[in-house]
Amino acid sequence: MLTILLMCAGVLIGKLLFPERWAGANGRLQVVLTVLLIFTMGVSIGRNDDLLRNLTSIGLDSALFCVIPMAASVALVYLVARRAFAAKEGE
Amino acid sequence: MVFLALAALLAGIACGLLGGDLPAVDALLASSDLVLNLLMFSVGVSIGLQRGIARKIAQYNLRALVIPLGVTIGSVAGGVVCSLVTGYPLAESASIAGCMGWYSLGGVTIGALSGGMYGGVAFLSNLMREMLSFFCIPLLARHLSPAACIAAAGATSEDTTLPMMMKYTSEEDVVLSVLNGAICSAFVPVLIPLCYQLFGA
Repeated sequence: MLTILLMCAGVLIGKLLFPERWAGANGRLQVVLTVLLIFTMGVSIGRNDDLLRNLTSIGLDSALFCVIPMAASVALVYLVARRAFAAKEGE
Repeated sequence: MVFLALAALLAGIACGLLGGDLPAVDALLASSDLVLNLLMFSVGVSIGLQRGIARKIAQYNLRALVIPLGVTIGSVAGGVVCSLVTGYPLAESASIAGCMGWYSLGGVTIGALSGGMYGGVAFLSNLMREMLSFFCIPLLARHLSPAACIAAAGATSEDTTLPMMMKYTSEEDVVLSVLNGAICSAFVPVLIPLCYQLFGA
């Protein structure tokens, strides 16, 4: 909940107060924060023996979590967009 | 960014395996919530800085929303199917799939909420989605439609996979691609806690 509130506060500040010339710096800050967070995630993976032992199954699960949602998105959007955008061309 | 993220992950794993208990690393681990909150604020600022999105959506007469809504519903539904296949809890599965390719934010957010293993799967699966969609775009453009290319790319359709969209689809599709990426990227930080609320036990 706090994270969503913080994001909404960010959206408002971005829209109303934040100088556009600092957009690049904001982007670089995101890269630094993301790298720090991914590093800490790596540390917690490295310190977790169970997790390392299960690395093969994590890889397989990840492949499923990649392919199934991607295929479902493609199928749904293909079918729905064909109707929606055909209607637009027909107008 | 992909290589930077992978390097950070590998360095972190190596540090966790070999480093023992370095005070600086422990301090960083202890303050990871603060770093995440700062990141979310900064992401919000980026969304707020994007001018004219509402006007562009209006030009497409709300049809521009068809693709991001389809991507979001399709991804979360795919996550529900993954929960049945893998036995992962529904909330975690839907959230992992709901990252729609945004592996960096998804990995850290889900890692903070459910622990390293789920964070690791969120990171890896969404990194795979970004890479797979990158290479699938030419095939999808030829055999299905530009909208299908945008759907595969998910939240990455405004940045990393955009060069492929430019090469294999039209200018109008590139605009839709940028819009889809911006809207999906705004959805992801909301969708993750929403999935925990909706599907959580």
